[in-house]
Amino acid sequence: MTDELLIVRCQLGEHDALTELVRCWHEPVRTYVRGMLGVQRADDVTQEVWLAVIRGLPRLREPGRFAPWLFTIARRAVTDRLRQEYGVAEAGAHQEPVIEDAADVMVERAVLIAALSRLPVREREVLVLFYLEDLSLEDCAEICAVPAGTVKSRLNRARRLLRDHLTEKGSKR
Amino acid sequence: MNDEPNLSAEELIGRLSPVLSPWRRLRGVAALVGGLAGAVCAGSLWATEPAALPGRTRLAFAVFTLVCLAWAGYGAWLVTRRTPLLALDRVIAGWFALAASIATTVVIVVAAVQRGAGLAPALATGAVVTAVSAVLVVRAHVRRAALLRRKRELTGRGAPPADPLDGTDPPRGR
Repeated sequence: MTDELLIVRCQLGEHDALTELVRCWHEPVRTYVRGMLGVQRADDVTQEVWLAVIRGLPRLREPGRFAPWLFTIARRAVTDRLRQEYGVAEAGAHQEPVIEDAADVMVERAVLIAALSRLPVREREVLVLFYLEDLSLEDCAEICAVPAGTVKSRLNRARRLLRDHLTEKGSKR
Repeated sequence: MNDEPNLSAEELIGRLSPVLSPWRRLRGVAALVGGLAGAVCAGSLWATEPAALPGRTRLAFAVFTLVCLAWAGYGAWLVTRRTPLLALDRVIAGWFALAASIATTVVIVVAAVQRGAGLAPALATGAVVTAVSAVLVVRAHVRRAALLRRKRELTGRGAPPADPLDGTDPPRGR
């Protein structure tokens, strides 16, 4: 079933479609929120995102463009949370919590998540959207409300910063 | 620290039940429509009383009207801020509002005729609320019909099944 059909069924009010929508998109939303805010706050913010998504469904005019719309809402929820916690969205970017105990998880994954959480918010955001959520440059640009060229430059910078963090981590081992 | 998802999709669906359940979504509509209808009826009966009422009766009317308005306010808050109204919800809500409008109009017009006062305001009020409800019903059906059309296009079905809520016959094939 296409996303558009699923969204149309949700807008019609079909309960099965609504639960299917949550099942299909829960993990991508959670991955994005976790990548942006860390594991500790992922559940609360993911729930906030879903409440806003379902409340906003009747106003979604282009069901075929669900993914960018969904991540725009998720981005707003993440930004609100960051603003609440740090006053301004980027102020605490370098203070993001890192994985403290990597013993329970795969080491590589923990290192990657830790490195991701140390990136500035804007760079982390495009990295998560482009690589983890597999969205196109155009969709990332729409979600972040910036031109596609800006997304490209942020991606370049994000890759460079991530590489630096991982290299630094590797050299310390 | 465990990196695996703590909140599963099923848990999330459970937490979202107030917005996922159609009956829960319609609670706000019931509170809004019932509250407004009660307030209009009580206010109309109070206003058309032929003789001066005792203090306790006036107080009772005022309290009942305020309680109805409070329910209407709560319902409006639920509908506008808390729960979405999807296409089928809007159709049900529209018909519910229309039925309540007609019933309220009948009550206030009968009361006005029996008391021989306030017929024109009662008719005007009834006409306005009924017209507003009728517009909401039509808009809800139009929106739902558009979504059903789109669903049929996407599923690639030809002749759609008859939909009792549409009030229209499906197009006939050759």
